[in-house]
Amino acid sequence: MRAGAKRIQNDPWWLRAGAIGFTLLFLGIAVLLPLTAVFVEAFSKGVSGWWAAVSDPDTVSAVKMTLLAALGAVPLNTAFGVAAAWLVTKHRFPGRHVLVSLIDLPFSVSPVIAGLVFVLLFGAQGTFGPWLLAHDIHILFAWPSLILATAFVTFPFVARELIPVMEEMGTQNEEAAVMLGAGGWTVFRKITLPGIRWGLLYGVILCNARAMGEFGAVSVVSGHIRGETNTLPLQAEILYNDYNFTGAFAVASLLTLLAGATVVLKLWLERKIAR
Amino acid sequence: MSIHIQNLSKSYDGRHQVLKNVSLDIPDGELVALLGPSGGGKTTLLRSIAGLEVPDSGQILFRGVDATRQRPQERGVGFVFQHYALFRHLTVFENIAFGLRVKPRTQRLPEERIRAAVEELLHLIQLDWISGRYPDELSGGQRQRVALARALAPKPTFLLLDEPFGALDTRVRKELRRWLRQLHDELEMTSIFVTHDQEEALELADRVVVMMDGNVAQTGTPDEVYDHPSSPEVYQFLGDVNLFRGRVASGSFLHQPHSPENTATATAFVRPHELEVDRFPATETSVPAVVLHAYAVGPKVRVELRHRDSGQLIEAELTRDRHRNLGLAAGDPVWVTPKSLRVFQDGQEVAI
Repeated sequence: MRAGAKRIQNDPWWLRAGAIGFTLLFLGIAVLLPLTAVFVEAFSKGVSGWWAAVSDPDTVSAVKMTLLAALGAVPLNTAFGVAAAWLVTKHRFPGRHVLVSLIDLPFSVSPVIAGLVFVLLFGAQGTFGPWLLAHDIHILFAWPSLILATAFVTFPFVARELIPVMEEMGTQNEEAAVMLGAGGWTVFRKITLPGIRWGLLYGVILCNARAMGEFGAVSVVSGHIRGETNTLPLQAEILYNDYNFTGAFAVASLLTLLAGATVVLKLWLERKIAR
Repeated sequence: MSIHIQNLSKSYDGRHQVLKNVSLDIPDGELVALLGPSGGGKTTLLRSIAGLEVPDSGQILFRGVDATRQRPQERGVGFVFQHYALFRHLTVFENIAFGLRVKPRTQRLPEERIRAAVEELLHLIQLDWISGRYPDELSGGQRQRVALARALAPKPTFLLLDEPFGALDTRVRKELRRWLRQLHDELEMTSIFVTHDQEEALELADRVVVMMDGNVAQTGTPDEVYDHPSSPEVYQFLGDVNLFRGRVASGSFLHQPHSPENTATATAFVRPHELEVDRFPATETSVPAVVLHAYAVGPKVRVELRHRDSGQLIEAELTRDRHRNLGLAAGDPVWVTPKSLRVFQDGQEVAI
């Protein structure tokens, strides 16, 4: 530290040391230790053991289902999130605040409840159950319910990320584009979208991370059919219950790697936005 | 009449009425100022002409064609926003080209014609050298000029400007004013700009529309509006003015600073430059006063005085020569005589 650049805060050294120490300790116990444990356990039978667990057909199927659920839910919520944020920030209408609260609802509802709602709607005894059965359409215990449940849980991410961005943008740029002769779609494509692109990408990444890691809601609607409707988190749980620890942690390591990739992407984006 | 506005009304939230039955005619080719205090409805009127606001009732006609329900894109109107609203993610060049690029395919110019048109506009605003920059890298005056060029690119019939010089410093503002006037004359457009700066309106416009409280208070040339304000409110808004309370009797105004509350009173309005200051009473209408303070503003000298009987403050404006000849000092007793005055009684002007 240069002589002139004196620190403004002069908290006692023990307070600073204590705060830093506690933070590091907690981070170690709550995050680093479990993460290490995941990989140690996953590779306890060597790389070949890990590979055997990961290439198990049921696990491969779980990877596919997880990707399918995310591929279905993320675009849905991206489209919805952009539309909702646009509606809420660029227009004034009665019931606007109710809509904003509704967007946040999935944050406050337990994912298990969300899953049960779909069972009540589409299950054999559910509202639409008999009709679906009669037409041989499978939603519950099949891939459509995985997408629906995942979409419900990850519903607020994109919209929540975009609302403040659009709020700050205001409407003047869009009005200027309209006055220059641009139609609605052109205004959105050439003015709105470039203005929100980083916020949108950020929201999509968070939404995707949550979609791939979702357990509760998916657990209720999937029916736990091995090799068919299990996603990665469900597969990890099943393997663990089977006392197949290496397998369970191998699957967990896949999810952890996904999380790591998300964090890296997020960091890169945050630096991009800051600039 | 090029723009014909008839009985336009608009309210927000169904309560706050911003436009109250406004009617207005704007002839082709004129540069018109919408002048008034903030909250007077001038920006709402401008935005209604552009199509950015939908009026509750009334009509807007462009050259005889009803445009009230037309989409803003179809109106042939260029709009310059108060804070410019330049597209931050596009270069100066692409900002100006925007209006040409978004035209439907059948009406769109080929790429080289677009480039040529933009180059020409860049040349017109004398900013050829910054065509590759982004709006964040420009000064306020440059942004303003880019915003103007962008609005002009699709060759609008009408150009609307919302407080175009509001955010600029005095020197740049003066320069851009002159430049806008020149541009307006060269391009033969009909232009309307909103301002709360009376000096700007009087200097720049062919015609001034004074808007107050959602109504058109007066329309006229700058001279008409300044010399013959139609109401006490307009009088007070347009420049400094001295108020004298009194009574009208047999066609002349009697200054009665202490007139009782309940008698029918009249108010005389006199601008500072319409007051003559003398050492002796010039006429029987002269008012006794004491000099408080004098200060030079450019070529003029402003003299603050106090009425000797009522204690009312009076402001006079003299030439430097006159001030020197009088040799005024604070505390000097003088006589103030209105060279001309206009008298209003119950909001109506009274001939004197």
